[in-house]
Amino acid sequence: MTIKVEMFYDFLQQCRESKIGNFQQVIVPASTKFTTDGQQQFSPLAEDTTFNLDTYRTIDPLKMLYYYFRERVYPENGKTPKRLIVGAKACDIAAMRVLDKAMDNDDFVDPNYKLWRENTTIVSADCTEICPTCHCTLVGGKPFVTEGFDLNLSRINGNYVMTTGSKKGKELLELIGKNAEIKESDPGDIEKQRKEIVTQLERQNKSYARSGVYEKYRSVDMDSWNDNSKACIGCGACTNICPTCYCLILNDETKGQQFTKVRSYDSCQLSGYARVAGGGTPRPKMYQRFRNRYLCKFDYMKSNFNMIGCTGCGRCTEACAAKIDFREVVHNVDATVANK
Amino acid sequence: MNNNPYKVIPGEIYDIVQESPLIRTLRIRPERPIPFKTGQFIELSLPDIGEGPFTPSSSHFISDVMDVTIMKTGFLTDHIHQTKKGDRIGIRGPFGSNYPLDKFAGKDLLILGGGCGLAPLRSLFLTLIHEIEKYKSITFLAGAKSPKDCLFKESVEEWRRYSKVKFLRTVDEVPSDEKWSETVGVATVLLKEVKIDPKTSPAVVCGPPIMMKYGTMDLLKLGFREENIYLSMEKKMYCGFGQCRHCVIGEHYACKDGPVFPYSQIKNEEDIWE
Repeated sequence: MTIKVEMFYDFLQQCRESKIGNFQQVIVPASTKFTTDGQQQFSPLAEDTTFNLDTYRTIDPLKMLYYYFRERVYPENGKTPKRLIVGAKACDIAAMRVLDKAMDNDDFVDPNYKLWRENTTIVSADCTEICPTCHCTLVGGKPFVTEGFDLNLSRINGNYVMTTGSKKGKELLELIGKNAEIKESDPGDIEKQRKEIVTQLERQNKSYARSGVYEKYRSVDMDSWNDNSKACIGCGACTNICPTCYCLILNDETKGQQFTKVRSYDSCQLSGYARVAGGGTPRPKMYQRFRNRYLCKFDYMKSNFNMIGCTGCGRCTEACAAKIDFREVVHNVDATVANK
Repeated sequence: MNNNPYKVIPGEIYDIVQESPLIRTLRIRPERPIPFKTGQFIELSLPDIGEGPFTPSSSHFISDVMDVTIMKTGFLTDHIHQTKKGDRIGIRGPFGSNYPLDKFAGKDLLILGGGCGLAPLRSLFLTLIHEIEKYKSITFLAGAKSPKDCLFKESVEEWRRYSKVKFLRTVDEVPSDEKWSETVGVATVLLKEVKIDPKTSPAVVCGPPIMMKYGTMDLLKLGFREENIYLSMEKKMYCGFGQCRHCVIGEHYACKDGPVFPYSQIKNEEDIWE
């Protein structure tokens, strides 16, 4: 089904005004005081918001909208607002599948996480541009969604082609159909357009080629990790911004009779991360913690969730104070393995 | 939602036993019974201070009250050592794996512990002697820094009265102002007193990392099998259910897959003794 872009924008504004769909909030990628040069950040839609649903991923990961940086988890949230998030990219949708496996599985359900996810409909959109750190194609991803999405938008010639991927997506499409003009027409060759972005990604990341034999990374010499981590200052920006990192700390913030637990993000890059009472820690050196992050993404998460923990968004590289390029490290480590 | 995994069960400290200068046992009465299996751990909360993982030191046949034996060694435990009878405390759990009692049935069991590592081992031991007829024998080797650091001093004579139990103690050193008539040396020196068949016997080890390491190595040398050596890998088990990742040993979670691991399961991971 297709819809004219302006008409879709109008639909979003109507949702924002709660005229349709009972949404309490609509969130879009928009330019803010924190963004520059075409960057965008997820923001609540307002009447005058400048937003672009297409282009490339936001600077902040989608996870920050359903796995909060700091949130009270006991007693849990009674309810969360019904939300519509529009303009998520494939790398974030893939990351959401990793987090879903971690936060909502047979053994464990995080009540807040589940509630936020249940009350949110996510509209993804094909990437129509890439940024310098984008590298989804290096990890088997694509700049457009293939699974795990509700409704997807592919922009072409002033139209959005809408594809549904879930029950929520179908319901949303129905709602759009009732409130705007949608057509069953073919406004252009989406595949060609998608292929063009894939080609751009492949060209950009050519020099970072890797074997993808991640299970061998465990056997890489410590010297190699030491070399690769020399510039790292251990600030933890990479893990906070990573769409699949979910390490948490639980704090007791009890006042009065009701026990209260608050969870916040933690980072395995910080020296105190795994330190126990008495001072012992399994990873006292920076290169050990640095290595842990890479092995977690490519080995441990693969063992635990059958998915690697990198979706190629490149935010860690963008956020790195020491300008360490994640792709370059993986490329170097990979080369060590290949030489064995 | 009824099953919030972060749920805290309030409880009251009804008694405190000062075991040694640095170690005390809190006796806790939770608002409702907390059934656990020996070897599993709980998260103990001090209101507005924090929480940490501890393994109960009482028998798992008792669930309406619980003993937790804690060494003063950091921020949270300093506060725990300032608690008084009647103070409120919170409990989450139990979490993790337990000692496989079914695998100990009919066997000669060796227990090797040192320092505050005796806490979970006391839970195991009390659970075992509750059904002592199920086991062939129990050899309990306990190490401490000095005589005054020995734990559960009041109970030792009683435990030694069981004909199936051999309970041996050693201390690293005896200061001139203390008396000691038992072995002197690190915990592993007691291993030469072990008379059971290493090929078929299970062994349980818990103590400071260095003791766990050399204890395990010595047990292997004696001929104990890797899969029969059970280690309590107490790491920073922050959340208790395999989410926060602080306790990971490679792809294993100390909190969910452990804390009790057979040595064979984790022997290839790095840094397990840290």
